[in-house]
Amino acid sequence: MSQHFDIAVIGAGPAGSTAASAAAKAGKSVALFERNEQPGVPVRCGEGIGMRSLTAHSEARPEWILQQITGSRMIAPDGTRVSVADIDKSVILDRERMDGDLAKDAKNAGAHLFVKTAVTDIHQNNDLKYTLETVSGNIEAGLVILADGVESRLARKLGWNTRLAPNDIESCAFTRVTSPLIDQDACIFYVGSTVAPGGYAWIFPRAKGEANVGLGLSGTHSNAGAAKKYLMEFIDRELPGGKQGPLHCGGVPVTRYVRPLVRGGAMLVGDAARQVNCLSGAGIAYSLFAGNVAGTVAAQAHSSDSINYTHLKSYEKQWKIRYGKQQERSFVLKEFVTTHTDDSFLNTIAAKLVKKRSEKIRYLTVFLSTFSRHPLLMLKAFKLFG
Amino acid sequence: MQLIIDEKTCDRCGTCISVCPCDALLLTDVLTVSTKECTGCGTCVAICPVQALSLD
Repeated sequence: MSQHFDIAVIGAGPAGSTAASAAAKAGKSVALFERNEQPGVPVRCGEGIGMRSLTAHSEARPEWILQQITGSRMIAPDGTRVSVADIDKSVILDRERMDGDLAKDAKNAGAHLFVKTAVTDIHQNNDLKYTLETVSGNIEAGLVILADGVESRLARKLGWNTRLAPNDIESCAFTRVTSPLIDQDACIFYVGSTVAPGGYAWIFPRAKGEANVGLGLSGTHSNAGAAKKYLMEFIDRELPGGKQGPLHCGGVPVTRYVRPLVRGGAMLVGDAARQVNCLSGAGIAYSLFAGNVAGTVAAQAHSSDSINYTHLKSYEKQWKIRYGKQQERSFVLKEFVTTHTDDSFLNTIAAKLVKKRSEKIRYLTVFLSTFSRHPLLMLKAFKLFG
Repeated sequence: MQLIIDEKTCDRCGTCISVCPCDALLLTDVLTVSTKECTGCGTCVAICPVQALSLD
């Protein structure tokens, strides 16, 4: 006989663990599945987040924060350096530690954590309950929260089309580098077709002389092993002689969030729901928020004798208000940036911005400079931001 | 056309799965391909950040 839980969560990343915690705290029996041995290992992330979002959506521990960031720099294709003052007090996280703690929190709240347990298949039964096939047997659950990351394979089994087109994904490679050339206080972004076609390269400092260094290429510009090749060239150029840690890779979805986010008794959260800012590739804050709301709503909808499926939809409403619209704007901007800009255009913007004082450079300035040459898109943007 | 997975190079990131048009790839503790589903289109090969995939 298979085990039964009120709510099953697949994937113990920030979205999944937060969802499992919220549901378990509300008194539900919760199963949390993680295919790796240790949640958060290996880290597939630049580990940057705004302090405000981090504390708003999690009980952040001081140990999670490795480095405070005071500003960032954008390096244009011609080498022009634009400094931007940090307005949201960004920090660099220890994701291995954070993900481990979040999974532990879920466990302490009463969730049953199954590690090294890949869920290979899922289907909904006639009684509307879900059966999950795992490498160590079948599990039944009344509601499921899918947080299985960028591959989002289980969603397809339940009728969603989560397949990404090549221009909806960034193919990424990254590693840790130790080098005396690393600036401890600033995040640095490099753009341009020789650095990272259709994406950007980045250096995020973790400590004195140590940084996460990575880059993403648009899927349309990628070919076999391209992300790794561009990264190696980037490190040789910018941090020559730097000592590299193990290479990791990953895909970052840069598209609209999946609609609907709720189907029957199943909910999508995090990368699986494509909840990622399309311009920056940032997804931790979105994931923490979505996981928390999905877990809470699932627990409210579930009772031992019935499930209120309509109530689950309030997750999507809350998501849309808090971050969904913001993501939508980032998507429109990304589409613009990838289709209408080239190196000379990026150089022109950098030349304009470099004349301004760094504190004065806000998103709006960057935005207006970008759009000043495209009045039609400007109109569209006013509609979006208005 | 057959998809070859270099297990030593594969980082198990799942990027290939998110773009596979045929749902032919599965990730447990290793990445595997269903030869029945795979049409050899090569989308996964192009997206793989570390060149762990190739077509033969």
